[in-house]
Amino acid sequence: MGLKYVGKAVTRVDALQKVTGTATYIDDVKVPRLLYAKVLRAGIPHAKIFSIETSEAEAMPGVIKVVTGKNCKILFGTCLWDQPPLAVDKVRHAGEAVAVAVAKTRLQAEAALKKIKVKYDPLPFVLDAIEAASKGAPIIHDRNGEYKSVEYVVHPIKGTNIFHHYKLRNGDTDKGFTEADVVVEENFNFPISSHCAIEPHGAVCRFQSDGSIEIWAANQAPFVLRDVLADMFRVPTAKVRVHIPYLGGGFGGKSDICIEPLIAYVASFVPGYAVKLILTRREVFTSSLVGRGMKGRMKIGARRDGTFTALEAEMYFSDGAYGDTSWPVCTVAGHNCTGPYHFPNVATDVYGVYTNSPPVGAFRGYGHPEGQFMVGRLIDMLARKLDMPIWEVMKKNFLSEGKKNALGQTITKSHGDLYQCLDEVKKAVFDTRKPDEDERYFYGRGMAAMMKSPKMATHSSSGCQLKISADGSVFINLAGIEMGQGCLTVFTQMAAEALRVPIEKIRIYQEVDTQFSPWDWQTVASMQTYRGGRAILQACERAIEQLKANAAEAFGCSIQEIEYDGELFHHGDPSRKLSIGQLARGYMFENGLTIGVPVHTTGSYRVQGVIEPDLETGMGNAAGSWTFGCQAAEIRIEKASGKVEVLHFASAFDPGKVVNPQTCRGQVVGGVVQGMGAALMEKIEFKEDGTIKNQNFGPYRIPRIKDIPKKLTVKFVETPNEEGPWSAKPIAEHPIVAVAPTILNAIRDATGVDFNQIPVTADIILKALKEDE
Amino acid sequence: MPTITLKVNGALHTVEIEEGRVTLLDVLREKLDLTGAKLGCGVGQCGSCTVIMNGEAVTSCTILAKNADSAEILTVEGLSDGYALHPIQEAFIEAGAVQCGFCTPGLIMRTYDLLTKNPDASNEEIVEALNKHLCRCTGYETILEAVKLAQSKMQ
Repeated sequence: MGLKYVGKAVTRVDALQKVTGTATYIDDVKVPRLLYAKVLRAGIPHAKIFSIETSEAEAMPGVIKVVTGKNCKILFGTCLWDQPPLAVDKVRHAGEAVAVAVAKTRLQAEAALKKIKVKYDPLPFVLDAIEAASKGAPIIHDRNGEYKSVEYVVHPIKGTNIFHHYKLRNGDTDKGFTEADVVVEENFNFPISSHCAIEPHGAVCRFQSDGSIEIWAANQAPFVLRDVLADMFRVPTAKVRVHIPYLGGGFGGKSDICIEPLIAYVASFVPGYAVKLILTRREVFTSSLVGRGMKGRMKIGARRDGTFTALEAEMYFSDGAYGDTSWPVCTVAGHNCTGPYHFPNVATDVYGVYTNSPPVGAFRGYGHPEGQFMVGRLIDMLARKLDMPIWEVMKKNFLSEGKKNALGQTITKSHGDLYQCLDEVKKAVFDTRKPDEDERYFYGRGMAAMMKSPKMATHSSSGCQLKISADGSVFINLAGIEMGQGCLTVFTQMAAEALRVPIEKIRIYQEVDTQFSPWDWQTVASMQTYRGGRAILQACERAIEQLKANAAEAFGCSIQEIEYDGELFHHGDPSRKLSIGQLARGYMFENGLTIGVPVHTTGSYRVQGVIEPDLETGMGNAAGSWTFGCQAAEIRIEKASGKVEVLHFASAFDPGKVVNPQTCRGQVVGGVVQGMGAALMEKIEFKEDGTIKNQNFGPYRIPRIKDIPKKLTVKFVETPNEEGPWSAKPIAEHPIVAVAPTILNAIRDATGVDFNQIPVTADIILKALKEDE
Repeated sequence: MPTITLKVNGALHTVEIEEGRVTLLDVLREKLDLTGAKLGCGVGQCGSCTVIMNGEAVTSCTILAKNADSAEILTVEGLSDGYALHPIQEAFIEAGAVQCGFCTPGLIMRTYDLLTKNPDASNEEIVEALNKHLCRCTGYETILEAVKLAQSKMQ
């Protein structure tokens, strides 16, 4: 049967609210007895707190309370409990919260901050991950290795700043490299960057005298947040209620936990009131989660014919002051830095290192862009050494049917078709004549492939509840967070398809509320279409079964005799039919007698058979699924300025099935442009004093419309599979993963210079070109 | 407390202005409950707070409230009568130019400013106007399409 809604460019269900300004985001939330909080930030990267004087601030007009970390015993976390809600006896990064003023208005709270006096004993600080991991570095956490943690997954090295060491040992890399005819090895740098969702982080929290907590938050992980808050205050989760409004972008920066423990702690000092904290953009840069921060070295070897023999990698992540949100990024970077290639021998060591910068968290791609930046560049260098076209080397080593990835998992045909992805982008970019260098420009082309598997809790699930009303409208409740990626629209399409009802009769609940929403692990790892979709599909299948049972009772026949096509229930005789609405609450005869049962169903889907990596080898079934893709770019570089212009950027991905071509293309183009920002312009920079230099969109430049490629090609390959609903697999983070190596390979092609540190700005290119002369 | 009087979406309002840095955006969002305009950066770099003031697109986060006294303001809430959407709003929906939606009201007001003054704006002129805005989701492709679609709808 042809599909009616899945695969169609259905209009976004959230668009009307968003173009009229009526969509509710965190800063639009108003509740009774609302107070406003402003936060005093350390302004010094590493110091002991000698004293905090708040009495003058507390006497300011409108001020209700000034909260400090004095006597705070709380450490919060999900796997590594290393962070207090605000600084207690020392500050570990310059953006750390030291005191919070709560007042009747935002401006009164802001004015009070100026009256708080803090005396510090400065300590030596360290920002570079490799320096921080070295002997003699200032120790940022005396208790590293003693904090409560989930020991199976977090591996600290006591007495150092290394709070997590993940190692992968697959095969024998020494042997692999002796078998190699060509070896390439380089150092790489993927700096700390800011997610730059245009909506800043925010939360509104009310604490009641019985220990109950109600919080509204711009957060991708309502149930994680609920559990963390319950743990912080030692109350059952029954006492915590989390509401999530629309998110103005997330990209991982609002996943896990961020500012919510701070605001909840502050709210606990003014019980009965709700306290609102919306970060300024500066605070988003200095005091929320940042991303990336990888310094690494990678080495790969290949035989003369291009067959890979071994890969070794070492990565140090400057993960900032606290480690709970970054250790799994390290682990997955270690798993997947091989990219979509088979290496028979792999050894990786990844270190999560405490540094005096803001903590690193999830960021679109989650370790994959960092790791695959290295392998994508090295393959280009290797191909040049072998004098082979890069696509020949790539194709020779692609993960394909029967091949094993670094974790030892066997790839099947249904996991995706990298060859076709490569052919699509090659055709788009490489199969025309490259423009010749002219007076003004160098021209270059590059290519890289990617893979991504979601890093997730092994029990990662989505749940779904479904009910039907008498007019046949279907109400679906699940806890996927709409943060721009379009999950509400995709869910609507899938429910309409599964039930074969008109799409306007589907309502997916938008506001997620832990009190009403079924449990969902969190909206990360590009999992909602795939995991949420499976939950919807199951709830719909069960609803059809219940409707059929009601119809059978109404007709006085067996269930097997009932057929379903969305509106009608046949019984051999097409004239005997009933609508969904007529059966949704059981069936009522003319005299009022009602039989059957009201239709309420649930569905759920848990990723299958995922385990944590083996403690010795780092291997195992740690990836639940994969999405593969390939990207290629044609660029030109202005000789006078060094400026890179992307003339054409082509992407091809295999997400199994594209549920909505318009929103799916939107994910790809958005990801490509974000990736260009990382490759060419974005980097958090620090001043001599350890504070962040570029704290707003002026000095921290992200792509504007003038920066986007002149031409964008987006292709999808749709390999059928048993995993995804209608074969649909994750495709959201993926478009960012291979952008940096693709562009840097093109820059190499244009200039002859290998750049292995990003961003490659115009100034850097110009300098390199001058050195080359 | 000092007050200012301003006309917003056709209605006259007199509002009290608290001591400290109070912007036009604060007045719209906090005093008048018009939360369509958004605070993204506070320094006029992202454009999410864009509204029309006395016939010009402005970043309302950089306009001090006292400087908006006697001003005439149009916000996204005033763009349609609530029954039928403005063609720019329709175009943003149809072109798929909305993802998280946080930057959308500002972009719509910028487009309104451009297309009401320059209905035949060239591609370059459209790009120049949109370059004042940041969107982290879409990569701008569909936003450019939306503005061109709005242009044809309005002609």
